[in-house]
Amino acid sequence: MRGPVRSPAHADGSRALTGGLVVLVGFLTVCPVLLLLLGSLSEGLGAFGRLTLSKYREAYGDPGFGVILYNTFVFTVGSAAVCTALALFLAYLNTRTNIPGKFLFRFLSLVPMMVPHILFCVSWVLLLNPSNGLLNLLLREVLGLASSPVNIYTLPGMILVEALLDLPIAYLVLAPALSAFDATLEESSRVCGASTRRTLLRVTLPVLRPAILSAFILVIVRSLASFAVPSVIGIPGRIYVLASHIYRLIATGFSPDYGQAAAVGTSALAASIVLVVLYRRLTASAERFVTVSSRGFRPAILELQGAKLPLSLAVGLLSFVLIALPVLVLGYVSLLPYSMVPGAKAFALMSLKNWRQVLADPISILALRNSLLLGVGGAAMGMILSFFVSWVIVRVRSTASGLLESLSFLSFSFPGIVIGVGFLWFFVFTPLYGTLWALLFGYIAAYLPYGIRPLTSALVQIHGHLEESSRVCGAGRLTTLRRIVLPLLVPGVVSGWILMATMFVRELSLSVVLSRPGTEVLAVQILRFSEDGLWGRLAALGIVMILISTSLVVIAGLVGRQRMRAYGLEGA
Amino acid sequence: MEIRIQGLRRMFPAHGKVIRALDGVDLDIPARSIFTLLGPSGCGKTTLLRCIVGLEVPDAGEIAIGGETVFSSARGIFVPPEKRGLGMVFQTYAIWPHMNVFQNVAYPLETRKLPRMEIRERVRRVLEFVQLAGLESRPATRLSGGQQQRVALARALVAEPRVILFDEPLSNLDAKLREETRKELRAFLSRLHITAVYVTHDRTEALSLSDRIAVMNDGRILEVGSPRQIYFRSGRRFVADFVGRANLLEGRLRALAGDLAVVDSEVGVLRCAAREGLATGSPVTVCIRPENIRVPPPPEEADANRLRGTVESLLFVGESCEGEIRVGGRRLLVELPAEGELAEGGEVELGFAPRHALLLTP
Repeated sequence: MRGPVRSPAHADGSRALTGGLVVLVGFLTVCPVLLLLLGSLSEGLGAFGRLTLSKYREAYGDPGFGVILYNTFVFTVGSAAVCTALALFLAYLNTRTNIPGKFLFRFLSLVPMMVPHILFCVSWVLLLNPSNGLLNLLLREVLGLASSPVNIYTLPGMILVEALLDLPIAYLVLAPALSAFDATLEESSRVCGASTRRTLLRVTLPVLRPAILSAFILVIVRSLASFAVPSVIGIPGRIYVLASHIYRLIATGFSPDYGQAAAVGTSALAASIVLVVLYRRLTASAERFVTVSSRGFRPAILELQGAKLPLSLAVGLLSFVLIALPVLVLGYVSLLPYSMVPGAKAFALMSLKNWRQVLADPISILALRNSLLLGVGGAAMGMILSFFVSWVIVRVRSTASGLLESLSFLSFSFPGIVIGVGFLWFFVFTPLYGTLWALLFGYIAAYLPYGIRPLTSALVQIHGHLEESSRVCGAGRLTTLRRIVLPLLVPGVVSGWILMATMFVRELSLSVVLSRPGTEVLAVQILRFSEDGLWGRLAALGIVMILISTSLVVIAGLVGRQRMRAYGLEGA
Repeated sequence: MEIRIQGLRRMFPAHGKVIRALDGVDLDIPARSIFTLLGPSGCGKTTLLRCIVGLEVPDAGEIAIGGETVFSSARGIFVPPEKRGLGMVFQTYAIWPHMNVFQNVAYPLETRKLPRMEIRERVRRVLEFVQLAGLESRPATRLSGGQQQRVALARALVAEPRVILFDEPLSNLDAKLREETRKELRAFLSRLHITAVYVTHDRTEALSLSDRIAVMNDGRILEVGSPRQIYFRSGRRFVADFVGRANLLEGRLRALAGDLAVVDSEVGVLRCAAREGLATGSPVTVCIRPENIRVPPPPEEADANRLRGTVESLLFVGESCEGEIRVGGRRLLVELPAEGELAEGGEVELGFAPRHALLLTP
């Protein structure tokens, strides 16, 4: 009998709160888009005097632009295809077969949070670059080749690394769909006389199609926004995609052209927004499509028999490549003066020289300090905003709160470098230009959905009566938020905060546009080292970065477990 | 009057239409009584309760509690729930899972900024009253359904509010526990001499707990009265049908004679209990409850209505036997003794006293 509950919101403060948040979040998300458009139509940075299409003519009339579009298409669709196939394989193995070592799969989905993308790319460059990649050197020695057999600086190289980076995202989309799969659908196919293989092809995969398609689109969005792979692997191989092309326009050459960058950015942004809209529509229909059994019985488990060993080995190898290899390579390189194959000579030359140099390098130290400051303080501010936004989205059901929800998820489709350019156009008019505040605003705008999503799903589980009874007991709106909602959300807030902090600590694509001398951050400093080929110092700083992220992830895990123990959020 | 409600309206937009959850409700709830809002789901009873407590803002009307206006659309008054000083037991109990029993119960006193010692003393007393003494430090997540219900009651009572509200507080308990808790709740409330407003869709709960009942449907109050008045003397077709099993026969009022009314009905001429405000010739519905029909009618009731019929079916349900007897074109539901001698297909005579034949208007 409870109709759509209109809380007494409208009679006291929360209309003002909703309005304030709409303005704030609207500013954070719409402002960079607007300024990107304005910037693309202007004659130069800060010169909005006369609107012109000249930057579009320059940007899209460039004879090289066709190649960039082609590269972007191959890179994004290629990584999406490789990544989705791999993720589907892993998700199927984990949820539907008796493969041993299932804990590895959970671990696999956490790894990219611990190893920042740029370091993952660098470790592959260190292994497979044609001049002195460790694996290449090794293969040359062993096979007696004159030149390196593998070159990472190619489109396939980029696709492979990007696919591995996005693997966890695709896995997180596919695994739940697979484990919620109603096994009776398959069983009836078997009863009808179809083989396991035929059932897989004719029943399982078609039913999972929406989930597979959404994973595919999500990876396209991710790789379109990716900057680490295009910059660290693409640029040395002169393979430019949209993101690295924008970077080239603003960061290299003699005169950065922010207008052209904005003009190129608009098409990347448009593509991304279209894809995200498509993705959200698909996930909505996927929920209808995939038959989730309410009785929660386990799906049928396939006995692997003879295939068990080779499949386990494949998973083990993949885990090693994803988890251990980057750290090992970076650790090894950080101790050497230059790249060489492990051996007696290498061990004789090992020293802590790179570490000493990095720790004495004022810019690296500044970058470390800035990143920690942004990570800890910035994520805290991000979570405070996320808390209020989530509460309004879940509890205040009004047109304004619906608008707030759409606004706060808009930035999910923002490629970092594009939105960075938009913010740049904004910040040049403010005293914030070239300060850490500029980075902070950009970070919060771009990563707000990551703070809001865990909080809204936790809030939905907290029955509205828990808040209402506090009001009846004589507590005001704020007291209720402080004494009831916040304590119940603490675990979510803490783990959301840590998630945000790890993202802020390793942020690259926005920072590369907004960071200025004095506001260097870790990922940008790593990129500089990589552009200058200072691999040893890069590796040392990278290990520091990994240590920070890993400890944050470990703390998040511990908090999460404690929350389970304290109260399983059964709430009402 | 403890609570006075006038002209209350509340509308919800739903699927392009407007649902009138409250469609002009006028209601007076007397002090120190248990007052129940009874009605089918969707009738607006919970919305009315939420308006009283302040969790819902009506579109129009006035609410006064203890003489103080807490809502008035005309004068632009809305007192937020935390300023109304009421107690409420929610359907889900809404026990805060991050607090233990003591912290849950002490919360209303803390928001009223009472001294620590007094809080401790009052929590102890109220927990004793609801028979939960000794469970102060038990985490809220480790309480049974019945215990949760009592914690919710203790929390609603602890600040000694002038009114306590219940939103279907027994609907989350299983059938057996619900019956026990109902008796217990009745005992608690009658010892407290407090004004209680109780929302339920369960007629047994309403009849057994309340001092007064208001029956609601489609956002309106249909009838207010004591449980007996509502059950035995209702004048509204919907009410009589909702509060108990009923045989409803359509007819036309032929004549009135003192406290007797003569009705031409589907099954013949019936003598019924007269009622004010009915004109001869107007259409009426006659309501006869199954337990008031006797088969065969005892000979000493000379004025009883007597009808002949055929037993169509007999359903043994334990404490009694539910029979369906065809009389003319109608089937009447009759409650028979469990150990009767009737057989399906048999011819029987049945009867009921005129005072058991109520005249209803829609």
